[in-house]
Amino acid sequence: MSTTVRRFLVGCFGVLLAIAVWQLASMIGPLAESPMPSAGEAITTMLQLLTTVDLWLSTLDTLVIAVVGLLAAIVVGVALGIAIGSSPLVMHATRVIVEFFKPIPPIVVLPIVVLVLGPTPFMGIFLVIIGCTIAIAIQTSAGVFDTDPVRKATGETFGLSRAEVLRRIVLPSALPYIGTAVRVAAPTSLIVAVVAGLLGGGPGLGQSLLQAQLAGNQPELFAYVLILGLLGLVFQGVSSLVERRVLHWHPQFRKENP
Amino acid sequence: MTSTPSTAGHSDERPVRLDVSGLKKTYTTKKGDVPVIDDLTFDLRQGEIACIVGPSGTGKTTLLKCLAGLQPITSGQATIDGHVIDGPPEELALVFQEYTRSLMPWLSVERNVELPLRHLSLSAEERRQRAASSLEAVGMAEAASKYPWQLSGGMQQRVAIARAVAYRPGVLIMDEPFASVDAQTRFELEDLCLRIREQFDMTILVVTHDIDESVYLSNRVIVLGQRPAKVTDVIPIDFDGPRDQLTTRALPRFAQLRSEIFELIRKAG
Amino acid sequence: MTTIQKPLRSRTRQARRQRAARSPRWLLIGAEVGLPVILIAAWWFASAGSTNIFFPPLQTILARLWQLTQTSEFLIDIGSSLGNLVASFVIACLLGVLLGLALGTSRFLSWLLEPVIHFFRAIPPVALVPIFVSLLGFENETRILSITVAALFPVLISTIDGVRANDETLDMVSRVYRLTWSERLFEVVLPAAAPRILSGMQVGLIAAFVVMIASEMLGSSTGLGAKTLLAQQTFTIADMWAGILLLGIFGYLATFLFELFRRRVLRWYIAAQQQERQL
Repeated sequence: MSTTVRRFLVGCFGVLLAIAVWQLASMIGPLAESPMPSAGEAITTMLQLLTTVDLWLSTLDTLVIAVVGLLAAIVVGVALGIAIGSSPLVMHATRVIVEFFKPIPPIVVLPIVVLVLGPTPFMGIFLVIIGCTIAIAIQTSAGVFDTDPVRKATGETFGLSRAEVLRRIVLPSALPYIGTAVRVAAPTSLIVAVVAGLLGGGPGLGQSLLQAQLAGNQPELFAYVLILGLLGLVFQGVSSLVERRVLHWHPQFRKENP
Repeated sequence: MTSTPSTAGHSDERPVRLDVSGLKKTYTTKKGDVPVIDDLTFDLRQGEIACIVGPSGTGKTTLLKCLAGLQPITSGQATIDGHVIDGPPEELALVFQEYTRSLMPWLSVERNVELPLRHLSLSAEERRQRAASSLEAVGMAEAASKYPWQLSGGMQQRVAIARAVAYRPGVLIMDEPFASVDAQTRFELEDLCLRIREQFDMTILVVTHDIDESVYLSNRVIVLGQRPAKVTDVIPIDFDGPRDQLTTRALPRFAQLRSEIFELIRKAG
Repeated sequence: MTTIQKPLRSRTRQARRQRAARSPRWLLIGAEVGLPVILIAAWWFASAGSTNIFFPPLQTILARLWQLTQTSEFLIDIGSSLGNLVASFVIACLLGVLLGLALGTSRFLSWLLEPVIHFFRAIPPVALVPIFVSLLGFENETRILSITVAALFPVLISTIDGVRANDETLDMVSRVYRLTWSERLFEVVLPAAAPRILSGMQVGLIAAFVVMIASEMLGSSTGLGAKTLLAQQTFTIADMWAGILLLGIFGYLATFLFELFRRRVLRWYIAAQQQERQL
């Protein structure tokens, strides 16, 4: 039996084991008295939920918020990154500000954003933009700054205009940086979209989760968390697939991911 | 300097430290067994330097890994001071080819040298002194508080040798130790190797693909044949007196030995 | 290959230096300090006469923040938030590294548990808060557990990666010199994995901070996050802004202090990298 197959089987066994432990804990363990549903209940509820239209609509809401927010963050972040990276003066001027805001998560400003925009999809999108833009801008500016000046000068001597140099030389060489930033930002966008629903009352799976908790519907609460985990896996998979598709030609990318 | 033997003739009376007899090593793969080393026999006496040369891909590194107890021996046996090697032996130290990767970049030079000494029953003071004297011996005393990545390749290999020397092994094994340094450094390190043998009366086994180096360094050159490796011949090297990069290499005998070994390797390959 | 690239690279460096030299140093440093000052001043003056209820004057916010810090209740809230954050983060780091070492060294264990771990990692950590609330209620244990779990998975996964990426040569060195297992662990395996482990901890710290706020917002009445949300719901806007400012500063400080710690622990790594870049 090949190693891959064995590994897969052991992994499957691990998943089954985890489910069995959960099932046992909810039946006979110290958690038997707690309101925790059994694995069977939660998974059955999840499968039932998966057949309802409401669930798919909520998922769609969450996805739209995450993806639209992420795309907007890419546009804004890349534009900011180019502006920052193309001049040492701008880079220095913005450094303190960027460094200060970088580690502050969007949940900090959630109260004021909800207050101004209300529990709308746009509120969620706005939070995603806040959450993802800075990281993308930082990476883009690093990529722009790292563009080989010799190559840029070559472009200029061939009579390319500034816009053409930007489009043909600077952006392609910054692309791996942007790709990595987007791959890292993708899970963040999903998390923020859920937070917007859970804490800001916006539409989507976060809101469904909150409602299940408020209604005391334990199996449904666990089922939503399972669904969110699956969605997270899909999101991660798709974003690294896209990155690989877009950047497969780049030597830097090939080097990092043999 | 004169009290220690530097010629092959003397060392016959000295005790055998490393004894390899009928050593076989076979890798088991999906497509069946692949013999790498076939019936290898040789020994090494106290204070002797021997070089192993042979065509590349002969399994020289595999042999060293077997001797260092990093890989199990398929059949036959190897002993150090009479103890059968079935795991990394206490009496052995190994200097690796990849000097950039064999030192811990997070430890200073001094602490790198001290690391293997910690579990020996030495006082902290003795440990420090041993490390210091070993670094002194390889000419790296001033670099004690530096970090490996602050040093050149040749200097890093000196530190690796100091680490091995501080361990006071019965047998020191070196795997192509000077293969990736420049020519000048290489000569310096070869002389360092000879000096250490004199100073600590050490028994040294060097794997090399450089025939000149093998002739210059050793009391005996062990020539291995094509895979699966077998001893083709053992050539005693019989220069009188201490060796010198200029005069020894200029001796007619040097050229003679070199072409003899070259011929053997060509036939084997 | 490197010899061919060398002249090109040195030319690149030269060109970069020239470009940097085009603006004088005093201007660059001035800009670095100047723009943030200008922005804060702009906020101060633009909001000075503000009658917009959502955006009160900065002066009002700062005055309110000062007032709040004089009350013991507010200080207790801050203490509760930061105490939970630090305690949970430390627990998560210890637990993550311990489990990571076990999984990184045992192939069977990692095969068995990795799919489950990656599933847990994919769940937005905030989504686990309602579960802990429903199981444990609104006690402080709920918050500690939520924060710990949020920070645990990044640390765990990066430790597994770091341990597994261990260099083969160093492994052989440890075996040849017969290092004891504790020497191997503390002098070889952990230092070698430290760069990855610490970046995992950095990610974990931000996750912990987010979940700290979320766990307080979801139905607790103590903590800075709870107070900020409460202020929003009761339209005490200056209080809400004071909370947001303070949370922002704490978020920045947490990362800043961790970065100081990281630089201390990884001094050798950072210096070695710089050296490599200069070559």
